[in-house]
Amino acid sequence: MSRSRRKRIPPRTRGLSIRTKLLLVSLALLLIPWMGYQYVRDMKGFLLQGQENALSLTARAVSTVLHDRPELFDPETGAPQLIGEPTDIFAYPLPNHIRLDGDPADWGEQLDRMGVFDGSQDQLCGPDYHADALSFGHLVGYRGPYLYVLFEVTDERLIFRDRTLRRLDNSDHLRLSLQSPGGDVTRYLLTARQPGRMSVYLMDESWRYPVTGEPNYDIAAELVPTEQGYTVEMRIPRFLVGSQSRLGFVVADVDDEEKRRVTSLVAATARPEEHEPLNRLLLHSPEIAKILRGLNRPVARIWVLDRQQRVRTVVGKLSSDQEPETSPQSARDYVEFWYDALLRRIYELIVLSIAPTLEQISSEISLRNDQVFRKALAGVPQTERRPSLDRHSEILMAVHPVWTGDRVLGLVVVEQSSNEVLSQQKQVLENVISITVVVLLIITVALLMFASRITLRIRRLRNATEHAITPDGRVRDPHIHAERAAGDEIGDLSRSISGMLARLSQYTSYLEGLPDTLAHEMSNPLNVVNSSLDNLQQEMPLTQRSKYMERAKNGILRLRSILTNLTEAANLEEALQLEDREEFDLVNLVSSYVEGYRLSHPTRNFELDVRDSPLQIQGAPDHIAQMLDKLADNAVDFSSGDSPIMVRLDRVNNEARLSILNEGPVLPSTMGDRLFDPMVSLGKKNAKQSRLGLGLYVVRLIAEFHRGKVQAGNRSDVPGAVFTVSFPLARAA
Amino acid sequence: MSRQIAIVEDDPDQRDNYADALAAAGYSVKTYGNRAEAFAGMKQNLPDLAILDIMLEDEMDGGFDLCRDLRAIAPKLPIIFLTARDTDIDRVSGLRLDAWDYLTKPVNLQFLAVRVSSLFRIVETLHTETAELEAIVRLGPLQLDPNSMSVRWDSHEVNLTLTEFWLVQALARRPGHVKTYENLMQVTRQSYVERNTINGYVRRIRKKFKEVDPGFSMIQTVFGVGYRWQPE
Repeated sequence: MSRSRRKRIPPRTRGLSIRTKLLLVSLALLLIPWMGYQYVRDMKGFLLQGQENALSLTARAVSTVLHDRPELFDPETGAPQLIGEPTDIFAYPLPNHIRLDGDPADWGEQLDRMGVFDGSQDQLCGPDYHADALSFGHLVGYRGPYLYVLFEVTDERLIFRDRTLRRLDNSDHLRLSLQSPGGDVTRYLLTARQPGRMSVYLMDESWRYPVTGEPNYDIAAELVPTEQGYTVEMRIPRFLVGSQSRLGFVVADVDDEEKRRVTSLVAATARPEEHEPLNRLLLHSPEIAKILRGLNRPVARIWVLDRQQRVRTVVGKLSSDQEPETSPQSARDYVEFWYDALLRRIYELIVLSIAPTLEQISSEISLRNDQVFRKALAGVPQTERRPSLDRHSEILMAVHPVWTGDRVLGLVVVEQSSNEVLSQQKQVLENVISITVVVLLIITVALLMFASRITLRIRRLRNATEHAITPDGRVRDPHIHAERAAGDEIGDLSRSISGMLARLSQYTSYLEGLPDTLAHEMSNPLNVVNSSLDNLQQEMPLTQRSKYMERAKNGILRLRSILTNLTEAANLEEALQLEDREEFDLVNLVSSYVEGYRLSHPTRNFELDVRDSPLQIQGAPDHIAQMLDKLADNAVDFSSGDSPIMVRLDRVNNEARLSILNEGPVLPSTMGDRLFDPMVSLGKKNAKQSRLGLGLYVVRLIAEFHRGKVQAGNRSDVPGAVFTVSFPLARAA
Repeated sequence: MSRQIAIVEDDPDQRDNYADALAAAGYSVKTYGNRAEAFAGMKQNLPDLAILDIMLEDEMDGGFDLCRDLRAIAPKLPIIFLTARDTDIDRVSGLRLDAWDYLTKPVNLQFLAVRVSSLFRIVETLHTETAELEAIVRLGPLQLDPNSMSVRWDSHEVNLTLTEFWLVQALARRPGHVKTYENLMQVTRQSYVERNTINGYVRRIRKKFKEVDPGFSMIQTVFGVGYRWQPE
């Protein structure tokens, strides 16, 4: 019964399994890397903030050191150590007091810095110049309130001044030009009549005649002839060289004592201006650098700028070093290498996607720096971030003003690459990614195992549940053992199914017992009626011949037959269990049965069609006969008049097949195997016979006892039904 | 002196009907409604024959228990089970207790009377060895005594019940002739008998013969029709 009901419910389309669902849910774990990414971004922000603060403090500290020391920012004192235009004249601090005696010994180690001017560099010289005629070494130093200049001139011929000549440019001489910030140029010419002290005159624009005849005593110079030429030591007081002043030196060479014409003019600086060899003088003052050197770090760069945003000094450098990639060596390294490469790729995907492009950067840097510096010059400390040019990191910048009194003297700019932070971020992100992968794996495996276990348990429970009930709806075992001991919901389910099965089995056994009980309970009153009728006949012999007595007796017989039918199936099952099996020939049995049936039903046309013989099977011949009874009765009931009823025996593979065919109404296709269920019947009511629908059920019971199968179908040749029973053949056959 | 029959049946209507019918046939009848009452009564006044229902009031197997108790005090008392219970198991249990017969309801009261008289006749034969004897049927090794209703096979006693005896007698009377189920139903003298019941009887008869002769195969099945006694 349960089977047929199950058939009527269309099978639900199979949805996702628990395992799949759990795995889908576990996709939520992918939020972990996202979380990690967010975390890392926040952390990067924090770290950069911290770094910025640190830089800001550094900038402030540096600027504090520089506060109230305006001399450091004097244009002539502050000098860039590391940068500067090639045209700048550098002045170096001198270790000793310089005596103007033409002996360069007291210049000490600074002599090494002497520049050589021989026209080979891009220096201004006259058209006829050649290095053999004139070259010189040149060095500028300062000490105390003076600038000192040393010339070591190589000259074939030293020509002294001829006093009789009014023009001053007709001997070997030096020219000194000074330009004030306003643009006014003062020209001094140094010449000598003899070795020793040189005369200094303020000159006109053509460098021919002095403006006044008075020599200038502020500037002192000493000329000493040497083997190659001569040496000049010059001393210039610093007040002459004001802030923003420019100056230039030119060595003029006269080689012909007669003509006394200037044959060579060599400027002591590279690429001087068009007419005047004027250059910025930058006094090399190590003081700021010295102060800053203490702050020098490999990871930061400190700039000091003056109000004009000119660089005064720079120390340190920005490190943006990337660790060089090593190629894998061993197998393990190889794995690590690829793992790292993979992580790096993921990392770059995540991090670099937010980095702006190169074009954006470079256009912005100067603009932004300018803004920042201007604000800082207004007195407000600033911090700024910008991407580095190689885009791999960010540059952090802290700017702090340097004060003297209320005035901003300059700026301290501290720059640092965020590489360190980035590498930390990278490490963290890589860790997060690795951990996520591991966690994801572990959780996935755990979920998979858990889901498999649950699925397995549920499947076991389902199998046990399905096994607990036979296909025809009987409770096989009211106790489900699967998962019974489990303490969780599946255990509860198992127990409640067990309880349900127990109640179902009680009910089923009640139902199964019902026909028996009913038969028994009815047979007693039936017997009362029957025996009373018997006694009535005895007591009143007249009633014996009454037709009503006859009918009453008939009714009792029919009732009795109903009761017998009711109990037959149940009794049959019991009887079958006690039955011994024997081996017999089905053909023999069926032929004799058909013969007998022909005798007892002479009006019906029975045909026997034996196609294979013998067919030895194991079983109880009596019950096979009983089964044939039912099938024959069924065929007779449903066949019309004298149409033949065919009994066919054949062998299919290892089975003996018994078919009974009749002509008549076809079976409704919806009935299928339900025909063989108890209490299912087709056809019209018959006044003489009761139809409880147990006949074919008995057929099925007997067939199953013989390990056979029953089938009902419609004939293909003529309208009618065919009932087929297949039995496995005995081995001996 | 009329023979005394004890009827144990919990249903008063049936009990009275049996009593009336048997009394009309000339027997003196004592009726009991339950096991305790019946056993007490019969112990005091042993009847010549007892008819027992199996289910007595609340006791499912009250009749079997009573039969066992009666056997203890009267081993030779003829006992007939008359019950609505119609399973093979019940039949076998009843006959194991040495009941003389096992009848199912509804029973034809005339047949019941016939049966009772037959049983008394057997008892008489066993006790007196007198009276006009019916001819003993001999058929090969089979020896059938209608007087004592005893059967011998190769001079071995085969212990059959009354119904079984009648069936063997009917089959052996005309060897080779098929006795249809309908014929055999008549022979059992019960009002309604299924084919299965006949099959059951025959199965038990064969078994009893096989107890004395394992090679016994004289009763042949004619499937779908009935049985016949194999001719020589």
